[in-house]
Amino acid sequence: MTFIIPVGPQHPALLEPEHFRFEVKGEEIVDVGIRLGYMHRGIERGLSERTYHQGLYLAERICGICSHSHNLCFAQTVERLAEVEVPDRAEYIRAIVAELERIHSHLLWAGVAAHEIGFITLFMLFWRDREHVQDLLELTTGNRCYYSMCALGGVRRDIRPEHLLKLKRGLKVLEKATKHYVDVATSDRTILARCENVGVLTKRDARDLCAVGPTARASGVDRDMRRDDPYASYPEIPFEVAVQPEGDVLARVVVRLREVLEAINIIREALKKMPTGPIRTKFKPEIPPNQATVRIEAPRGELLHFGISNGTNKPERWRARTPTYANFAALKPMFVGGSIAEIPIVLASIDPCMCCTDRVTLVEVATGKSRVLTMEELRRIPK
Amino acid sequence: MKANEVIDTIKNYVVESKIIDERRAAASTDLARYRDVLQALKGKDIRHVSSITGIDLGKEIAIVYQLDCGRSLLNLKVLVPKKNPRLPTVTDIFPGAVLYEREVMEMLGVTFDGHPDPRRLFLPDDWKEGYPLRREWKK
Repeated sequence: MTFIIPVGPQHPALLEPEHFRFEVKGEEIVDVGIRLGYMHRGIERGLSERTYHQGLYLAERICGICSHSHNLCFAQTVERLAEVEVPDRAEYIRAIVAELERIHSHLLWAGVAAHEIGFITLFMLFWRDREHVQDLLELTTGNRCYYSMCALGGVRRDIRPEHLLKLKRGLKVLEKATKHYVDVATSDRTILARCENVGVLTKRDARDLCAVGPTARASGVDRDMRRDDPYASYPEIPFEVAVQPEGDVLARVVVRLREVLEAINIIREALKKMPTGPIRTKFKPEIPPNQATVRIEAPRGELLHFGISNGTNKPERWRARTPTYANFAALKPMFVGGSIAEIPIVLASIDPCMCCTDRVTLVEVATGKSRVLTMEELRRIPK
Repeated sequence: MKANEVIDTIKNYVVESKIIDERRAAASTDLARYRDVLQALKGKDIRHVSSITGIDLGKEIAIVYQLDCGRSLLNLKVLVPKKNPRLPTVTDIFPGAVLYEREVMEMLGVTFDGHPDPRRLFLPDDWKEGYPLRREWKK
């Protein structure tokens, strides 16, 4: 006999409500269904009713954690629609902020993942070190969140010479900390016990279900938009794409931590190579009829914006496909065959922007009785 | 595959095709042949659907499949009449398209015949106000 466990949508502790329906047989998960839309704000429609300049800020608000990715992707799509070239220095600044954001997003995720497996000390440490990159983001963009760094045709703010020393110092601290965390993640008994061979996504499933980003790369799929569909200044900066073949939660941890180290190298290289010159070009708000698709590598994976212009200062239709949305289909093979206790960490392992699990109702189908578990109770199950 | 190789693969099944640059290709096809295009691409080991976008053009609805072809991206457009917007599902060819088709179904009222799970995805279960991404939908 199977039971249905609805998970979500309420969860005040973390962001973004979603609803999952787990069908379980004893402890084993046999099926999972997803219900999205509790945060649906109609942004695609909203973007087609606003001018490009207004849309730049609305697009940024699609996601709070990877706001620069949406900002950048929107700006690049509009620039491609209008066939405007962006100055070289602006391209470098865009890439630097994108990598700073990747470090902040991955460290934030690593903290959440440590929390999900009950390793609170590690969660505190990750978030302590994340403050360093938050300081660097504030230094370069002026904001800790919603950086609004891109303007149509360039960037809003320059990286000044007096920023360089602080940036270099901050990166050194981050590099040392992250190297330590890679050692911890691959050797600590608690982490290995909770993450190794858990929530496995095979390479075949990852490809067939169109997984993206670190989730796909942890299953051995070698895809990275920074290399495969280059944008900003990435074609001029050599970097390594982190790929792990195992496909379990541990591989997703390792891929993200390796990406943090790689991001630090990219920023260093970009600061070295960055040319001098203007940071913005003039941009005319009316764009002739055209179509453009731009994909970038957001911290969570491939982000796609597709725009159609119609000769006015507003787009005819705008489409934004976020990486978490692409990864939802791949969640099913990760869960099926696993246990209830694995739900929080497997759900967290795709880095959903972020997920529910705060309230769990266990419903016994035969008798119709139900009881509600809190996130705390759910975390206690494995102990 | 580069954009020109992608167009070479599908040239027998499309109405028109265009190479935008080395990394971007666009093509449009008709209802009778669009599954053949996707089968041909699958035969070349293209398995990643980046997105499916529905666009209301007034009398017709355009469904744009954005397919990742390794070194390039193909925008494949197929038109369905707005009076009877239905077309067969592609989830048997690309299992990853399952959520994108559900989104197009509820946002533009297009029916994908044979979809394994045609429930609502984003809109509330009691939504009765029509299709939010159609032109006639009011603010």
